[in-house]
Parts: sequence; C-alpha cells; structure tokens
Amino acid sequence: MIGTPVVETRGLVKRYGDHLAVAGVDLLVGPGEIYGLVGPNGAGKTTMMKILATLLAPSAGEAYVTGIPVGDDPLEVRRRIGYMPDFYGVYDDLRVWEYLDFFARCYGVPANRRATMIGELLEIVGLTEKRDEYVESMSRGMRQRLCLAHTLVHDPALLILDEPASGLDPRARVELREILRELRGMGKTILISSHILPELGEMCTGVAIIDRGRVLRSGTIGEIERSLRATALLRVDLLGDEAAVNAAREWLGTDPRIADVLGGMSNADGAVRIEAAFDGTPDAQADLLRAMVEAGHRVVGFSQATSDLEEIFLKVTGQIDEETAA
Amino acid sequence: MTASDTVFARPARASAVREFGSSVVTIMVKELRSRMRGRRAFIVLTVYLAILALITYGVYVIVAPNARGITGGGFGGGGFGGQANASALIGQSIFTLLSIFQLILICFIAPAFTAGQISLEREKQTLDLLISTPMRPSAIVIGKLAAALAFVVLMIVAAIPITAIVLMYGGASVDDIVRQQLVLLATALVLGAIGLFYSALLKRTQAATVLTYITLLALTLGTTMLFIFWTVVANQTENGFGVGPPKRAPEQLMYMNPGIAMLDVVSNTEPGGFGGINSTLAQLRGNAPDMNGEVECQGDICRPIDRNGNPIDDVASADSGYWWPRISATFVVVAALLTLAATRLVIPPGMRWAFRRPRRPTGPAPIPASAIVELSEESDR
Repeated sequence: MIGTPVVETRGLVKRYGDHLAVAGVDLLVGPGEIYGLVGPNGAGKTTMMKILATLLAPSAGEAYVTGIPVGDDPLEVRRRIGYMPDFYGVYDDLRVWEYLDFFARCYGVPANRRATMIGELLEIVGLTEKRDEYVESMSRGMRQRLCLAHTLVHDPALLILDEPASGLDPRARVELREILRELRGMGKTILISSHILPELGEMCTGVAIIDRGRVLRSGTIGEIERSLRATALLRVDLLGDEAAVNAAREWLGTDPRIADVLGGMSNADGAVRIEAAFDGTPDAQADLLRAMVEAGHRVVGFSQATSDLEEIFLKVTGQIDEETAA
Repeated sequence: MTASDTVFARPARASAVREFGSSVVTIMVKELRSRMRGRRAFIVLTVYLAILALITYGVYVIVAPNARGITGGGFGGGGFGGQANASALIGQSIFTLLSIFQLILICFIAPAFTAGQISLEREKQTLDLLISTPMRPSAIVIGKLAAALAFVVLMIVAAIPITAIVLMYGGASVDDIVRQQLVLLATALVLGAIGLFYSALLKRTQAATVLTYITLLALTLGTTMLFIFWTVVANQTENGFGVGPPKRAPEQLMYMNPGIAMLDVVSNTEPGGFGGINSTLAQLRGNAPDMNGEVECQGDICRPIDRNGNPIDDVASADSGYWWPRISATFVVVAALLTLAATRLVIPPGMRWAFRRPRRPTGPAPIPASAIVELSEESDR
C-alpha cells in the first residue's frame, strides 16, 4: 500500500453495557479502494462506520481517517468524509437543489461554487431533471441517490456508505453500482457495508467479513474464496434401501479426504441424498466417483454444491460458530 | 489549487467566528425555507393579527361608553379635561388587554415552534446527517432557535401597528410600547429556548411539547400559586395568624413569571397607570404600606415605610420598572443557559469532550490533502 491509509483502526472496541458491538477490529483501507464490510444484521458494521463518522466514541482502540484520530479532531475528520447512514430521512419540504445547497453550505462550500457543483452532482447520480422537484415526491431509489449526492458536496476523500443498496430494486442496485464505479474513477475511497456479499463482490477491491464485532476474514473476494474452496461440499444421490445408503455413508467415511458425512434425506424421485465435505481437487472428485461406482454403490447424482458468495459468507460465519462452540 | 485543497484546508482561527456565523445562517435559511413556504405561516400570522385587532375593537366598544360616563362626559361636567381622560382610559384599556393577550398568544406559539426542532430531526432520522457535518453543534442549535424566533419576532413586530392605535387615544406612550415589546421578545426567547432544550433532551416531539407547556404553566400559574401558598404558610404561627410584620415568599420566585413582567409594564403607563395592579405588584416585593401603617418622620415630613424600615415612595412611581427589567434579564440568562445545555445534548454522547479539547494531533501524521488526490489519481491509471 502506498502512503497513509485512508482508514485505519487498531483494536477498535465498542461496548454497550455488557454487549460487545465491536470487539477489537483492525482495518486498513488504502487510497482509492472500495472496501466492503459484510456481515449479518447486528454484526457491528454500522457501529464501526458511526465511529469513523465521528458520531460515536469508541470504548477502546484507535481510529484514524486520513491519518487524523477521529476522537481528537472530529470536525476536521468530518470535512474529509461523506457519510450516508443506513437509516436516514430527507427534508421532505425542500426541493432537490435546495437540499444539496443546504448541505453544501453546511460544509462551507463557497457560494460561487455551489450552483455548478450541484449541477455536476445531480448529473453523477442521474437526477438532473429532478432538480426543482420536492424531495417528498421522489422514490426510494432516487432518495438514496440524492443522499449519495449529499455525501459528495464537499469533495471528500472518503465515502462511508452504510447499506446503500438495502431496500432497492434490482435496477436501482445496478444504477447504484454504476455510480460507485464512477466515484471510484474520480479517486474516492469508499467504505461500504452490506449484509449481502454478492452485492459487493463485483466492485470491491477488498472485503472484511464481520460477525459479532469481529473480522472473520479479510482480503480480496478471490482470496477469501480460495481459502474456503479447499473443502468442497459434495452432493451424492443414491438409489437403494436404507442399508445400501448406510453402507455408502460408511464407505465415504473411510476416505481420509472426507471430513464429514451428513444427511440421508429422500428425494421425491426415490433417491437419497447425502452430503460430504471433501478436501480435494476436481480430479480427486472424479476418482472418488469412479471408486464409489466400482464399489457397487448405485450413484444417480454426483455434484459439487456451487459455492457462491452467499455460501462463502455462511461458511465463514458458520465455521466460527463451530470454533467458538468447541 | 484543486477543489480539495480548499475543503481540506484547516480554517484559521480568525475565520472561526465567520464560519460559525455562516453555519447559523445556513440553518436559518433552511428552516425558514421550509417554514415560510406554503400557506401555513401566512395563515398563522393573519389569524394572530386578526385576533389582536378583534380584541382592540372589543375593548373599544366596551370601554368607550363607560369611560365617557366615568370621566364626566355623560354628567355634563368634564369639558376638555374630561375628554382627554376618557381618551386616555380607552388607550390604557386597549394597551393593557392587547399586551396581556399578546403575551398569552406568544406563550403558546413560541414553544410550539421550537419543541420539535431537534426531536423531529431525530424522529425523521435527519439528525445524523446534520451533525456529521463540520458545523459546530452550538451553531446548529442557535440557528434553529434563531429561525424559530425569527417568525415569532415577525409576529410581535407585525402587531406594533395595532398596538400603536393607543398612541391616538393617549394613556400609553411610545416608551410603554417599547417596554411591552421587550417583554414579549424576552418571553419568546426564553420559551423558545425551553422548547428547544426539551427537544434536544427528549426523543419524542410529543413529550418535548407536553413538558414545555407544563413548564410554562409552572412558570406562570405555578409560581403565583406557590407564592401565595408560601406567604400564607409563612404568616401562620402557633396561635393562628400572628401579629407582627407580615412575612412573604422571596420575590425571586417571580423572576421567571412573564405575566408579572407584563403587568408591571401595563400598570405603569402614563399617567398614573392602574393603581390596583401596581400595589399588588408592590406587595409582591414587600414595598407597600402594610396594615400597621408605619411611618418614618424626619422633621415635618413623614413618609410611609415598609416593614424593613425602607421608605415607600409613591406607590405608582415606586415600582415603575422594578419587575420587567429583572424578569427580562432573567429570561435572557436562562435562555442562554438552556441553549448551551441543548448544544451539549446534540453532540453524540462520548464525543462531548472532543469539542472542547484543543486540537492536538496524535498518532500518524495527517496526510496533506494534495497527497490524497495524487495517490487516488495514480491508482486510477
């Protein structure tokens, strides 16, 4: 990474009474990155973002935005960030341009630059023709884009966007993604959160998977995927009675590459599906299938459960569950 | 110099005041934009002035015939002097009732404008967006109070022409109208600040509104009743009502009562004013002849003294301007304190210290703004 990170946290902790919302988080986001925070609701994403946006004081640990400690100089930090909360309202009784003008004044943007800047921002978020309409009359997607525009009035280095895509229809999501790409092109660093990993997968340069206030995995999506793909989940559909199925399960259990055999549910078409966690390459999977057939098991289906991003997410959070349970 | 440079540049100390001022103006512009738009503000102002005009007319219709009767017009005596007295009585009556009604209306309107200022932002979830801007919380709070008061001031000032009718009749002077205006403005200020304080303290606008009006009742009826109760209890002895100088509750109890301030103003109009109100006001501070009728004589001149042995001046002039300046000053001070408290409440909990502390960067050195821009541009290529 070149230069000072735009976001840096060290051992960030936020406690609400007994509840640990953020439990020692280290983050490092470099200039120009789009960094995703992914985690289920209540994982601590919003709390972390509020700390960075100087709206909450951490219980312990340090947080820096462009090298400035957020607790020491909140006003200066605020000049460098644009913050979009997960839940927010807009001033209904203002026109779109008045709304942006208001926030531009809040950030001390000089009058001679406000008018042109508002035009540019409306163009970026695609609301140019809504300029004189009341915010009240706008759809949720448009409000979301307007709120995004408001984070940009002071040309901040860092955007903190908390669940910007939540509640949007697929089309609006695509539009939002396009806007974020454009902003990245403008050199903004973006910290974005979502409880849905695929939403971020395509555009993020890095993600941190967060659950219960901890970073479980961080890195690029590819890195996280690779670290997990080592074990694939095989789905094997078998014909035969219970004894035959049990025999197959036992047979699978003897293979050293198989960690766990689960299931035994009957399909509608009479086959029984068992699932096995398999540690090996696709080649090894083919060998396993051949060996299984040769051993006399009546296999009618053999597939690897496609590990999409959502599943990665479930796996990561699930694994930790097991670790903490053990 | 890029756009970012100006945004990132730390404001110099000298421009801090200007920055604060422009923040206040920003909030005011926004508030007034949404408040004054549409018909609501227009209707409120019209209804307010209509009520005051109606009161003025009503007082005239009721008082005019009686006044002529009392001052001799009807008995054929009077002549010029009688005419003038009748006119003054009409003017005084109008001024008195107009002032009291205006005070009552302002008491109800001013808190209504501020009791939702912060809590509505919380309810509509716009507060986070607002306080995550680099505006100082105090600027936000003061801007909101100023915007709410701007409209109330407009109402008060718009009623001056109606009040000025009394100048035609006499009985109240320009000075009286100025005093009346000052009391109204101070009352609007303190009630606005009370509403704003509750609005910052409580999550719900409803709760803030209710508490504001309860406080208003406590300051007006509450203090009066407490004063009476206190005085009665203080005068009770083991033998029932005792002898000796009457005791009374501390007059400071009344320092937050806008009603007393307005009565003080209207009872001191020229000429004479309303003796009845005046001696009541004098009783409040113990500067009135009591039943003992003690006098202090120096040579041939005897003057009545109160129970503390202080000479009592002519009742009408003695209390002139005793209450209203004290009450108005108290209002201004209390309003300032409440605004300060509201400011602290707007700052996110736990961040409060950060707004007091001198800026002392620790940890890694801040990157110059230009470096950020360059770096991010590099990463694009």
